[in-house]
Amino acid sequence: MTCILRRGSLGTAIAAPLVTAATLAFADGHEVTISHYFTGELGLKAFQEQIDRFEAATDYALKDSPVGHEDFKTDILVRASGNSLPDVFSYWAGARVQFIVDSNALHPIDDMWDNAGLDSVVAKSVADSATMYNGSRYLVPFNYHYSGVFYNKAVFADAGIDELPTDWEGFVALCETLNANGVTPIALGSMNRWPAQFWFDYLLLRTAGPDYRARLMAGDASYDDPEVHAAMGMWKDLVDAGYFTENANADSWTDASDKVARGDAAMTLMGTWITGYWNGLGLVPGEDYDFFPFPSISEGVAEASVGPVDGLVMAANAANVDGAKAFLEFMVSNADVQAAWSKAQGALSANVNVDPSNYNSVMLKAFETVAASEVFAFNYDLATPPPVAEVGLSMFSRFMDDPSKLGEILAQVATDAKSAFEQ
Amino acid sequence: MESQNRLWRVLLLALPILVFSVLVIWPLLSSFYYSFTNWNGFNRDYEFLGLRNFAKIWTDRLFFDAIVNTTIWMAAALVLPTLTGLFLALLLDRQVRGARIFKTVFYLPICLSAIVVGQIWIWIYQPDWGLLNTFVKLAGNPDFNYAWLARPDSALFAVIVAWSWQQTGLSMVIYLAGLTSIPSEMLEVCEIEGATAWQRIRRVVIPLLTPSTVVVVALSMINSLKGFDILYIMTGGGPFNSSDTLAMHMYNESFKKYLMGYGSAISVVLFLIALTIIGVYFRQLRKVDEIYG
Repeated sequence: MTCILRRGSLGTAIAAPLVTAATLAFADGHEVTISHYFTGELGLKAFQEQIDRFEAATDYALKDSPVGHEDFKTDILVRASGNSLPDVFSYWAGARVQFIVDSNALHPIDDMWDNAGLDSVVAKSVADSATMYNGSRYLVPFNYHYSGVFYNKAVFADAGIDELPTDWEGFVALCETLNANGVTPIALGSMNRWPAQFWFDYLLLRTAGPDYRARLMAGDASYDDPEVHAAMGMWKDLVDAGYFTENANADSWTDASDKVARGDAAMTLMGTWITGYWNGLGLVPGEDYDFFPFPSISEGVAEASVGPVDGLVMAANAANVDGAKAFLEFMVSNADVQAAWSKAQGALSANVNVDPSNYNSVMLKAFETVAASEVFAFNYDLATPPPVAEVGLSMFSRFMDDPSKLGEILAQVATDAKSAFEQ
Repeated sequence: MESQNRLWRVLLLALPILVFSVLVIWPLLSSFYYSFTNWNGFNRDYEFLGLRNFAKIWTDRLFFDAIVNTTIWMAAALVLPTLTGLFLALLLDRQVRGARIFKTVFYLPICLSAIVVGQIWIWIYQPDWGLLNTFVKLAGNPDFNYAWLARPDSALFAVIVAWSWQQTGLSMVIYLAGLTSIPSEMLEVCEIEGATAWQRIRRVVIPLLTPSTVVVVALSMINSLKGFDILYIMTGGGPFNSSDTLAMHMYNESFKKYLMGYGSAISVVLFLIALTIIGVYFRQLRKVDEIYG
């Protein structure tokens, strides 16, 4: 018994200073807890570098717990349900942030935004679409991406293509030329469903327009509307013509990107993160690959760009409010941080003070394309509430499996989406 | 002395009971509680819905698809590892050359995590260069590129095969242990009396292996109800929910659609189904115990 007591005393002796130190760090407000999904080899290293910059510039210490991109969606929900959200976490602007704002799980940052003068730092188009929810600001944009048609330049050259399409007829003719040259025109890797969403986004935006799409995303229009049938019908025409790679649902987005890189397919509709992936494989931007914007379809429809905005948000019950706000401000307003981060991540910076010469030729073109767009729209799964997005994402893979059932699929989705909105 | 023993028992049991209560009982009771709410995981101001989540289950098309898939999975789980395990055990119980190596090889998959097994089979099923399609191509069908995991007709069965491959080693070892308890004299008598090999297996070995079969069936059934990880890594319930089991459906509703309340209701139903099956199993187990001691 004495022995147990001695051990207990020893344990107490060891644990007490540790607990005290942790409590003091906590009480002093030096520690800021953070979780994020930038866990790729390059992303994790680059993010840590920016954390180091923050710690060097302030007297805060960051406690970082990164989680893989897909697992992060579950992880953050588990932490929220256990009431143990970190002070700051990365999140996707749009319907997902709206969802947790509506759940009172985020802390507004209007005061920090105004004090730091972020109106003159963050691009207005991004600030308007990504930061405001229910009349308050909740998110600082960390970077954003643009989705375009990325293609293998050598494959296009071999097929004698020297002019890029700007309208739908030109795009279909391009596919036909590539097909005739024995190359599958379009690679799609919809195993994880989301890569297919860009086709739906652009076809709907280019035909029915951004206003109709916003209504559909908000539940004020139906998936059985003629507008949706028309957009999906155009997608079906492309699949039926044999322009897509076989077994799209068996490939991931990197599989599809590899097919384009190898020249087994000519192009893929993907976000600018593909540049980071391809550069890592040794492809040279502008020489080996390039992109063109999704072609116009209907006249008089506002030209929209599609993509996600990665942001940083603050938990409603953040333990270190001041530290969290300081971190958010630093990460978006420091031009060096933004330049280094966007370069490493193959992303576009939301900070207008970042010199565009930091971008390679492809990213610069993407930057200019977004700047010239009339509308910046979030991709599908960030534009509609998560329960509805689940319904739609499954629709895309079901459609790619058997496009002949399009009518039946849309009728079913209309019912399921209506029910999901009611929830 | 007796009171001191009792004190020790209480002390030694306190920690496991505490851990079990925190990690099992408390979450279980919480699930029951949340199944009556519209909690989304983030919101602390959820509402009580009474039995509305349970009523919704009856109109949920995907729930019934998941019931069908779970039933298929369980039926396959009862048949595949049991039969293949028995077959391998009978084969290796004979003093064949290298039997010990084969036993180790067949048992090895059960030592791997479901994630590793799932990834191995994802590669086997890969349509362009996977082992399975490569064999089909070599067998004279060079254009064959069926996507086993990406087609709704085959995804569930492809996962069941992978899962059964992992479980077979366990069944085999249990049957091998059972075979050692069968007296060799009994089989020799059968042989002298003119019974064929099949008759010996059918009439003597299999009936005497009943206690082993009960264990194999029970483990397969319990493992099939727990069979979430391998499905998660191989198909995630896809393509478009075609391989959803009840556990996967519960996960998708809770964590992808953020419908924690509804997901909890599904988990309660799954719990009741498991309880019923385990109840029936224990009844049968008692009967077997009465017969075989």
